Amino acid sequence: MKRKILVVDDEPQLRKQLKIGLGGHGYEVITASNGHEAITLTAQQTPDMIILDISLGSEPNGIEVCRQLREWTKIPIMMLSVHDEEKTKVIALSAGADDYLTKPFGMDEMHARIEAILRRITAEPMEHTRTEIRAGDLYINLVNRQVFVEGEEIHLTPKEYDLLRLLATHPGKMMTHRAILGAVWGPEYGEMDHYVRVFVNQLRKKLRENPARNVRYILNDPGVGYRFVSID
Amino acid sequence: MKEAFKSYGVALGLVVVTTVMAVPLRTTLTLANFTMIYLLLVLILAIQRGIIPSLVTAFASFLSINFFLVPPYYTFIVADPREVLDLVVFLVVGVVAGRLAAKAREQAQEAQQRAHDQEVLYRLADSFNQFGTRSGVTDSLMQVVQREVRALRVQVLPADEKAPLVEGVAHYTLLQTGADIYGTLMVVCAEALPASRLQLVNACARQAAQAIQRAELAEKARLSQQFEEADRLKTAILHAASHDLRTPITIIKSSASNLRQLGRQLGPEEEAEIAQTIENEADELNKLVGNLLDMSRLKAGTLTLNAELNSLEEVVGDVVARVYQISHQERVMTTFPDDMPLVCFDYGLILQAVTNLVDNTLRYEPADSKVEVRGEFDVRQARLKIINHGETIPPEVKARMMEPFFHGAGGRTGLGMPIAKGIIEAHGGQLWVEDTIGHGATFVIALPIMEAHGHEAQNSGG
Repeated sequence: MKRKILVVDDEPQLRKQLKIGLGGHGYEVITASNGHEAITLTAQQTPDMIILDISLGSEPNGIEVCRQLREWTKIPIMMLSVHDEEKTKVIALSAGADDYLTKPFGMDEMHARIEAILRRITAEPMEHTRTEIRAGDLYINLVNRQVFVEGEEIHLTPKEYDLLRLLATHPGKMMTHRAILGAVWGPEYGEMDHYVRVFVNQLRKKLRENPARNVRYILNDPGVGYRFVSID
Repeated sequence: MKEAFKSYGVALGLVVVTTVMAVPLRTTLTLANFTMIYLLLVLILAIQRGIIPSLVTAFASFLSINFFLVPPYYTFIVADPREVLDLVVFLVVGVVAGRLAAKAREQAQEAQQRAHDQEVLYRLADSFNQFGTRSGVTDSLMQVVQREVRALRVQVLPADEKAPLVEGVAHYTLLQTGADIYGTLMVVCAEALPASRLQLVNACARQAAQAIQRAELAEKARLSQQFEEADRLKTAILHAASHDLRTPITIIKSSASNLRQLGRQLGPEEEAEIAQTIENEADELNKLVGNLLDMSRLKAGTLTLNAELNSLEEVVGDVVARVYQISHQERVMTTFPDDMPLVCFDYGLILQAVTNLVDNTLRYEPADSKVEVRGEFDVRQARLKIINHGETIPPEVKARMMEPFFHGAGGRTGLGMPIAKGIIEAHGGQLWVEDTIGHGATFVIALPIMEAHGHEAQNSGG
């Protein structure tokens, strides 16, 4: 069955290109040019995913539309924005968006992100029973709390393991610094974002990441948070 | 009032004491002796206590001498007519001398007050010069006025604000110089201020107004200089950038025309190649636009740093991972000490600066060697060295290579270098070029390390 994607953007040329591009990847694409139309279409056609521009050039803007949609639906939302500013991204994520993409973007990147989100949505019900995770040379045994790199077991402190497990069980999902702090250290660590950076730094070394050869498991989004690489 | 009664008390007390001591001597001393002693009293009172107490002393003395010291005693009758003359002369001399002495006292006091006021104004002017800002000036004005007139409350009200309701007597003075009004100085005291204090307050206000005017003029001059510089830079950038911007646009347009017009005639490989070119040039254009925006923000001083404790190693990791994604080659080698500390910086901006520098360095790196990025630190700063092994840069190029759109032997540097420099300097850091030992160029980024941050996290267990 074809997946249905709703594209919401006020720029007709971009709507057209996305319709062609995503159509070519086998999705059914419906489009809306403003927030009201987007909400109505979502209610009538229940798409599998929504791609939503952050500004939309009219009221309600994308952030507001995202908030309203989240009041009654869990359909995954990917935000589009030209602002390469961290604050906008954090606002979008906290309004309930699942991911965001900065304009201009390549169609292959958009396709990869959509696939990652859709895969995660289908996998989620089984998450509780997942016992192991594999990504490249990294193998995590969730039952025994064991981590192997290139077949060799490595030792992680309990906090490092919790951090890795949190990221690895949400592959491809952007986790904000705040969300990571809350989940691993507890809500009382509210503002100590640099804890996350210190521990990610240590974790990278233990996981033997080699960025020079693009061997990386934890991807960084400056000022926003981290995401674990997508697992096929 | 209390002070006045005290003065009269002192005056009468002294007269009584003197009289008590004089009575046993009234047969041995002459009237002339007594009048001299009492005259001395009058003068002392005039100098110490002012005119009215001295007059009171004069009259009381006159009566005391008459009653106790001139025969017949204990009456106001004077037996010897010559003594009547003495007494009258005493009274007149006492009154006149008292008035003169009191006048001298007042003048001395006034002179002292004026000297004090001058001193206050002088010190005020001095403190205004220290604070070149409006709020600094008004703060020290309020402080000084508060101290000098013992006010219940001193406040500078903005020019367009209504005065609040207050208890006590309020005095208002405009902070005005020429036609410019910078607000109103409100001084609230328990009772109305005497004229001399009001004068001091007014003089302070006048000086403050002038200081504020000076500060605002200096600020205006600074801003207009900044605008001028931004404007000049804009023109220069527009000039140079039009070429750099048009190049990718030209390539995109011609590629798209080829696709449309040649369509079927193209082989699938050619078609893919043209499409790839369009994508690459669009990325190039996007990068250039981003650089232009950053440059104008840097120069206009409107760049806001979102500085947090971050890892330089992570920045370098992001940069070299991108290099691999683009070139599919391991072109960069990194070395970091295990205990490299976190440094306070804006991740996105420093990422951009390091990307610009590494990109630039890679362009001149020989194909058979790798660019090296090395992290170092001491107590004061963390450094990133980006080491290239190509040609050594001549000194005259080194001096100018950080200017926008500099044309060197190796082609244009565009905006990458000046932006990197601007970003690093906005962090209070430095960027410079050294020669690599052997040959090549080494870019050094130095960022200051903030005290007592972040280390706790590294030490606390995990």
